[in-house]
Formats: sequence, C-alpha cells, structure tokens
Amino acid sequence: MAQKNRARQGSNLKSFYWVLGVLALAGVGAIAWLVMRTQTQRAAVEPVAVEAARDPQALVAMARGVAIGRDDAPVKMLVFSDFMCPFCGTFAAQMEPLITSEFVEPGTLQYVYYDFPLGGSHRHSFLASRAARCAEEQGKFWEYHNLLLGKQSDWSPGTKPPVGKLLGYGTELGLDRAAFEACVESDKYQDIVSANRMLGEQLGVNATPTAFINAKRISAEVAMDIKALRQLINAELAAAGLPTTTTTE
Amino acid sequence: MSDNDGDTRPPTNRMIIAVLALFGLLIAAYMTLYKFGLIGTLACGAGSCEQVQSSRWAVFWGIPVSLIGLVGYAVIMGVALLGLQPRRFNNRRLSNALFVLATAGFVYSLYLSYLEQFVINAWCRYCIASAVIATLIWIFSLAELPRLRRAP
Repeated sequence: MAQKNRARQGSNLKSFYWVLGVLALAGVGAIAWLVMRTQTQRAAVEPVAVEAARDPQALVAMARGVAIGRDDAPVKMLVFSDFMCPFCGTFAAQMEPLITSEFVEPGTLQYVYYDFPLGGSHRHSFLASRAARCAEEQGKFWEYHNLLLGKQSDWSPGTKPPVGKLLGYGTELGLDRAAFEACVESDKYQDIVSANRMLGEQLGVNATPTAFINAKRISAEVAMDIKALRQLINAELAAAGLPTTTTTE
Repeated sequence: MSDNDGDTRPPTNRMIIAVLALFGLLIAAYMTLYKFGLIGTLACGAGSCEQVQSSRWAVFWGIPVSLIGLVGYAVIMGVALLGLQPRRFNNRRLSNALFVLATAGFVYSLYLSYLEQFVINAWCRYCIASAVIATLIWIFSLAELPRLRRAP
C-alpha cells in the first residue's frame, strides 16, 4: 500500500517537473525570440518611402512645424515628437545637438519639429505642445522644448493639467509672464498642434519619435543611431549631386 | 518531529507556487531585458509600459525594479522546489520561509501598484500581471501554513 502511494507520488512529481520544464523552455524560447526580433528590427535601416512627405505643408494646410536651418537646405528632416515621451527626451538630448552641429549649421539640413501628442496616458502632451508654441511667440521655442523634455518627471505625473509648472518654466527662461500666461491659459495654437498630429497620422506616424528624411520615414531606432542617419543624409546628398559630409571620428 | 512525519503526498500548494513563480520570473526577465534596451522599441506608442519603465520609480536604490522581481521570483521558486523533494514535503520551516518571502513580494507589489495608480498615473500590463502573480503566490503560501500546523 505504502509502496503504491510512493509510486503514485513519484509519478505526480514527475509530471509536475515535466510541466515546469516545458513551461520554462517555452518562456525562455519566447524571450529569446523577442530579443532576436528586436535586434533584427534595429539593424534594418531601410527607410519607408512616403511621397506625401515631400510637401507636408500642402497636406494639412494648418500644420506648421518649428524649423531650424536654411529653408533651401537640400535635405529636410521632419521629426514628430511628444513632450511626455521619454524616448523623445533621449532623442532631443542625445541626437539634436549632433544633428545641428553636423548638418544644420553647415546648411545641409533643415530640421523641422512637429507635435505628435499621443494622448492616452500621455495626457498632458497636448497642453505642453501648446505651451511650447506660446514660448515660440517670444522666440524661445527650443529653450522651452529642451526644458520640457529635460524635466519630464517633474511635470508629467499627476492627472491635473500642470499649468503652474509650465508657466514656471516660462519664467525660468525669462519669458514675459503676462503674455505667456494669457497664451497658455487660452486655446491658442490648439489648431496648429491638432493639425500637426493629423499631418503625422496621414504620414503613417504611430509612435514617437518618428522622423522623415526627405520623403522617407525612419524609425526611432534609426533616428537614435548617428551612423545610420549620416548614411541616409549622405545618400540624399549624393542623389542630389551634392558633396557628402565628411566626418572626423 | 522528523521531516517525514505526516502526509506523504507532494504538497500541491508548493507546486502551484513554483509554477506561479516561474511565470513571474519570465515576466521579470522580459521586463529586465526591456529596461536594458535589449527588447522592445525605442519609441513611445499608445501603451504605458515605456512611461512606467522609464519613470524614476522603475529603479529602487539604484537597482531596476524588474531585476529585484527577477531575483525575488527565483528565490521563491527555489524554496518551493526545495520543498517538493519528498523528504522535505512536511518541512514546516520551508512553508514559513515561503510565506515570509511571498508576503514581502506581495507588499512590494502593492507599493508598486500604488505608484502606478497615484504617482505615475499609468498602468503597464506586465506590471499588473506580476502584481497578480505575487498576490496569488501569497494566497497559496498562506494556504500552505495550516497544513503543517495540524500535525501534533
């Protein structure tokens, strides 16, 4: 009797270990597959051609980006960004200075920022985009943009619109308090911010940051990789019969 | 009292805890790889995981929260498997250890859920799954306690 019990208990345990082993293998396999998929996705530098991006202004008449660089620059880079998105913060902090010094300042590239407030859990992005436009009125868009992205963890949490904090950043930058406050607390620029988002949607943007180099959409993974960017920008310059940028590394 | 006293059946609660801890371990492993940038995307979409995972609460005393989860689930699974060796079926100390570990995990999960709800204001589905698993482990570790108390 005891022997029979022991045998049954042994087979119970054996099947338990089998189940556990199979589950563990399946789980490890699934995770390995996800890692592999991520690696191959990241390696793909193949841009997606979006013809409409050649003339975005005609697409959604109201949309208006904020540009740095010459209007006649041979390469145009459009970036759709969300002020609450941590990856947009990383992109702005790490890549924007590189892109500016290497391509914008020599006149090769015009960099145009567009709002793409994601909504959902990014509930204050729309307000932040509008506030940045109010800062633009006083010539401080980029300074305000850097401050917003740098202080994401300060103003992003919470369910109430962080109007006070957004106004405070304006004061920090020396903006005219009364004018800035009147602008932020109105519905000014809600049309432009909405149009920018609509423009992004029509261009197939569904995540931030998403960038376009001339008519080609590139993923955040590529946008975060200066070597891949350099390659794409040089390809555009070569296609236009212009000298490519040489980099010293 | 020797470890061999009482029931000779494998303790079901410990089996369930081991399986649950395995699921928790896999989720925590996934989140840890995500945190280190080996998995997932570098972009924000409609979901909230990137917001939770990139918040300053995703790191606790300089250690990513997901890594703490990974170690915690591994330890719980290890103790549960130890308690599934036939000569330790009725080891009361292992049940107590499981209960203490599960309680710590459960309380920690509650704290993280509180942060998601009231501080970060975003929910990440993997974090929710982990919180559910931690709660279930705690329930089964609680259910495991009276089994050995009954023994004289």
